[in-house]
Amino acid sequence: MTRFQAAEWKLLTDLIQDRFGLTFDGVRCEILESRLEPRLRELHLGSLSDYYRFLRFHPEGDAELGRLTPLITNNETYFFREAHHFDILVRRIVPDLRSALRTRPLRILSAACSSGEEPYSIVIALQNGGLELAGVRWEIDACDLNPERVAQARRGLYDAGSLRACDGEARRRYFRESGGRFELRERYRTGVRFFEANLLAPNGSFGWGSYDAIFCRNMLIYFGEEAFDGVIGLFARSLAPGGYLLLGHSESLLDRATELLPVSFGTGVVYRKRLSD
Amino acid sequence: MSPTSERPSVAIRIAALDALPEGEERQPAILAALEEAAPAVRERAIRLAARYVEPAVLGELVADDTNAARRNGAIAALERQGPYALPQLQSMLGLENLDVAMFALQVLARIGDPAPTAAILPLLRHPNLNVAQSAIEALGQLRSREAVPALLGLLRGELWLQLAAIDALGAIGDPRAVGPLVELVPDSVVAEPALESLQRLAAPESLEPLLACLVIVRERSLLDALLLAVGVVIDLHPDPAPAAARLRDELALGHGDALLPYLEQVLNGTAASGDLLRAAAALTVVAGLEALLPLVLHRIADPEGAPWAEALFRRHPDALRGSLDRLLGDADARIRRGALLAAGFGPDDLPTLVNLLGDPEAPVRAAACRALGSTGAEAVAPLLAERLRSGEPIERAAAVQGLALLPPAALGELEPCLAPGAAEEVTIRALEVLGLRPHAAFEARILELAGSRSTALRRAALRAVAQIGGSRADVTLVRALADRSRPVQLEALELLVRRGGERTAVTLSALLSAGDSLRYHVIRALGHLRAEGAAGKLRALYPECGPHERLEIVSALIRIAPRDLAEFLRARLEEPEAELRRIATGGLAELADPAQLPLLLTLAEDADWNVRNEAARGLGLLGLPACRPPLLTLVRDVEPVVARTARKALDALPSVAIPA
Ligand SMILES: C[S@@+](CC[C@H](N)C(=O)[O-])C[C@H]1O[C@@H](n2cnc3c(N)ncnc32)[C@H](O)[C@@H]1O
Repeated sequence: MTRFQAAEWKLLTDLIQDRFGLTFDGVRCEILESRLEPRLRELHLGSLSDYYRFLRFHPEGDAELGRLTPLITNNETYFFREAHHFDILVRRIVPDLRSALRTRPLRILSAACSSGEEPYSIVIALQNGGLELAGVRWEIDACDLNPERVAQARRGLYDAGSLRACDGEARRRYFRESGGRFELRERYRTGVRFFEANLLAPNGSFGWGSYDAIFCRNMLIYFGEEAFDGVIGLFARSLAPGGYLLLGHSESLLDRATELLPVSFGTGVVYRKRLSD
Repeated sequence: MSPTSERPSVAIRIAALDALPEGEERQPAILAALEEAAPAVRERAIRLAARYVEPAVLGELVADDTNAARRNGAIAALERQGPYALPQLQSMLGLENLDVAMFALQVLARIGDPAPTAAILPLLRHPNLNVAQSAIEALGQLRSREAVPALLGLLRGELWLQLAAIDALGAIGDPRAVGPLVELVPDSVVAEPALESLQRLAAPESLEPLLACLVIVRERSLLDALLLAVGVVIDLHPDPAPAAARLRDELALGHGDALLPYLEQVLNGTAASGDLLRAAAALTVVAGLEALLPLVLHRIADPEGAPWAEALFRRHPDALRGSLDRLLGDADARIRRGALLAAGFGPDDLPTLVNLLGDPEAPVRAAACRALGSTGAEAVAPLLAERLRSGEPIERAAAVQGLALLPPAALGELEPCLAPGAAEEVTIRALEVLGLRPHAAFEARILELAGSRSTALRRAALRAVAQIGGSRADVTLVRALADRSRPVQLEALELLVRRGGERTAVTLSALLSAGDSLRYHVIRALGHLRAEGAAGKLRALYPECGPHERLEIVSALIRIAPRDLAEFLRARLEEPEAELRRIATGGLAELADPAQLPLLLTLAEDADWNVRNEAARGLGLLGLPACRPPLLTLVRDVEPVVARTARKALDALPSVAIPA
């Protein structure tokens, strides 16, 4: 078991939940502990309550909270994860918008995009769907809490693990291999804009009623109730009327109060904002 | 719009439950919420039921088998009530509704308080097998020694009861169970569970019979269970060698021809569980099974290292003696390295070890450096110093370790490494040696290096300075508090705290007047030093400084514990900052002063869970009979952390009988 006391764990994890939405249970606490230990040593702090006080009261506390984010997030992701979503986007969501997209770009938010595999998979799907040839433009906003991952996303350079769902053909088409790493080709980066953002404190990063689709997958599973509701509220505001929300397979809005209604496309359930209020 | 989307969200439903005011409507609302579909809401309802619903009411819900959801909620709430619910649960044992008796037994087992043991014992013979089985399991979980004779009687009975009894005996850990359990191995349907219990018992007297079984058993799953038990028994045995030697002799006679291949498979396997691997290694080492030793040495030499394997040889230092020469000359570098790391060496081994300094593989040479140091022979110092200067990185690090083991006179060899022209990396390594052990060498040069331009050199030099006695070293460390690099400052502060001493405290107190960013750390350091002389200054500083320093001052004063601490802490309770109130309550709790009892009783009802938690701890530390009633409330606290603290505190109070 952990060398820290239950009460100090609760103080610290409540603070993290309050600021970032993330919750921690037994196993995740152990992982967190092993990641925090070196940080505590560097700061010459002996206990989690010392650290908690540092984060909340020390003049350098805010900077330390920023440093904390890479230590508390699970950034696991890969290209074409839950691939049916990209299909739904190209075959179901976009066709309905055809006429509108003659005069404006398709707008997508990839929330909690980690190192960028998700938004880039969207571009690949759109390219493969022939949208560029059809004259459709797109703007993909992609954000994450963890600054290290956002920087990596901008570089677009990946290890083989990120390509685990790509066959040989896909590897060759979408990437340039060098020294065992894979660089995404320029053509598949079109229209993506990366930025750092905390979905719990969005500070106006996301437009009001502007997105045709929001992808937010495999983040809410780590969230507590209040944070979950808060983020769904944010998405509901940020979606255009009739816009879609796509969640990860173990995340669901059933039994939750929200204006987003489930829509089944055969391959999976997504959520939709009503067309008019 | 679907009906589900009109319900308030989970977060709002939880908040509404929390906000229920005291009064007639609270209980029905809480009980209704026990049936909620959303787990988070249900969990909150259980916490509130534990706090605000009396055990008798919950007991009725358990008896009502028409509403399973509410029954489950009530069971969970009774469990959370812990000692508070014991009389109710005990009364449920005698009810005609056997389901209720069974649930009560299960909850009592999970609560884990031994008080109801006497009421449970008669149920071991209950005609209903489910009740009897629950009683067995409960007594096992309560680790009731009184139950052992009755449980032994059940070992030959009905299979389910037999299995439960075996498991309970393992949990209780009474040595009277060893003989009867051993009799069930290897030829009974319950041999594997019996082995699991023997493993938990880990009794020395089971080693001999277990080893005898190892020789005859061939079935893989049973072998695994046996080996696991043997591993644990060896671990806790004062002298496993004689029994293990008899096993080796048996094997030499050609008995148990399946055992060696089996052990080999486990030691080679990547599939084997860690525990199985360790058990096989322990048996190999203790029994001196020469053919298998190399496999254990592989584990040690692994770059990921297996510290347990090294520890194993440290506990059985003679295990390698007979085959050491052969192992050190083995063609496989991992075996050479493993043997060097595992064996103990003395002066007689010097020629062999020196030879290995010329090994073609750097990891082997590194292991030889450490082994040479462990001989303590002054004569090896020049060789190690040479490795430190020109070895590969892994050798240099090992040479540091080796040199630090040698007598003080040998450290003279470091002189060229510290000389002005030496490479910085070499000088840092030499300083590392001097930072690992007290010494009186090179004082002037080290003090000079503490003023180097390179930050890495200054840090290493300071660690060496801290090992020198005397006031010049003190002055150097104090001066480093003003170093231009923050990490060096903090290193110096930590080294000073570790040195301790009145003078350090005085110096640090003087630094309190400088309002720079180091002051936060200085305050903490004074606390760690328990610098009594600094208490007045810290208190005087309190009103002048920022919130982060105030919190540290309160913590430091709690460590120092000056005479009027209680008064100072009481004043902090009046401050608006919640964190200050929490720390102050913790400080008051640690005073363990009966005079603070009335205050702790008030704090036990505070709105802040953290304050209640500290109050619970304080009531436990006081240990007075008057602490029981408030703790029986805190043990049902809506915040599980508080409930756990209260439970620990209650367990430490002298126990009282449950009224029948
Ligand atoms: C497991 S990854 C999911 C990546 C991708 N969406 C996928 O499904 O493969 C979860 C990401 O959520 C991000 N995250 C966690 N809390 C966040 C918050 N409050 N705001 C924004 N991003 C957050 C983490 O940094 C992490 O990169």
